[in-house]
Amino acid sequence: MKKIFYFLTIITLFTSCDERAISTVEKIDQEGLKKVIAPSQKKIKVINFWATWCAPCVEELPYFEDLGYAYRDEVEVILISLDEAKNIDSAVQPFLNENKIKSTVLLLDDPYAAEWIPIVDEHWDGAIPVTMIVSKDKKQFYNKALTQEQLEDAINTFL
Amino acid sequence: MKTLKILVTILVGALTIVILSGMLESTKRENLFAEKPIPNQEQVDRQEAREMNALKGYQIGDSATDFSLKNIDGSIVSLKNFEDAKGFVIIFTCNHCPYSVAYEDRIIAIDKKYKNLGYPVIAINPNNPKEYPTDSFEAMKVRAKEKGFTFPYLIDRGQKIYPQYGATKTPHVYLLQKEGDQNIVKYIGAIDDNYQDASAVKNKFLENALQSLISGKAIATTTSPAIGCRIK
Repeated sequence: MKKIFYFLTIITLFTSCDERAISTVEKIDQEGLKKVIAPSQKKIKVINFWATWCAPCVEELPYFEDLGYAYRDEVEVILISLDEAKNIDSAVQPFLNENKIKSTVLLLDDPYAAEWIPIVDEHWDGAIPVTMIVSKDKKQFYNKALTQEQLEDAINTFL
Repeated sequence: MKTLKILVTILVGALTIVILSGMLESTKRENLFAEKPIPNQEQVDRQEAREMNALKGYQIGDSATDFSLKNIDGSIVSLKNFEDAKGFVIIFTCNHCPYSVAYEDRIIAIDKKYKNLGYPVIAINPNNPKEYPTDSFEAMKVRAKEKGFTFPYLIDRGQKIYPQYGATKTPHVYLLQKEGDQNIVKYIGAIDDNYQDASAVKNKFLENALQSLISGKAIATTTSPAIGCRIK
């Protein structure tokens, strides 16, 4: 009986692939944002701006989740929520739990969008969803919602 | 030998359950996210063409197109019908977007104040209700009534107008001034710089632009980055 139990445990571990823990949302300000979007020497950063209430954002989240897991050695996916900070406990964290979101999730707690939109990218029109990919020597800005294929193609130009 | 047989049977059974439940889990997960039909290539091309147009859009000083769009009261609204207006505050906005909702009271206040000074608000919902069901024509009527909109709330049926303006999100403001028979774009961007808290606004971009137009001065800030929900 004991043997079967061990065997089952091993099988279960094998079949559930993405073993990363569900993320806990963390608040950042404009200074934090500047650090997040700065290139890293170690990994390619895939940064997506989203919100729990934004349907096209929510639609593309699984693509980022898959990408972050598949390329976990080369890529860091960072999901920056533009939900209001007062909704962290009522909406954002419950959303992450329910949808088992495992990428890094930050919440930009700053309503003065006109100040930080140009910091993120001069080509950003301020609409979400929006995505950018930053490596140590390259930056690409995608001012639109992405399909899974488009995201794959995008990351392939960096790898 | 018999024990081994039983053991193997149990193992195979358990394995099947585990794999099946794993599959169930992954199907469930996919379903959590909004389902969307796969668009055919023609639609994709059209969408991309639209995005290209949207990228161009109007610059400050361009002449903006007039339109004939259906208002929530059933009437058809065109800029040419406002003979006494000196200009227009065109705001692409909608029901579903929290940024738009956050600005509703401020839009009403701006309309009340500046309509009398010759610059009425014209709100246009640019979204396809198939993408956002709460942006349907019926839902627009309901929301306008609830909030007591004092301005026309038009639907961009067929989505022909917003790409010409170059609107990409809601809310997205185009301030126009009549010059002869043309409507010239004077300001593009946000209403102000704090959607969360009207009392903590640092820059009233739109009102400052309106004040400048009314007093015949040059507008100091003619464009501003505006946060919003992508038009779909």
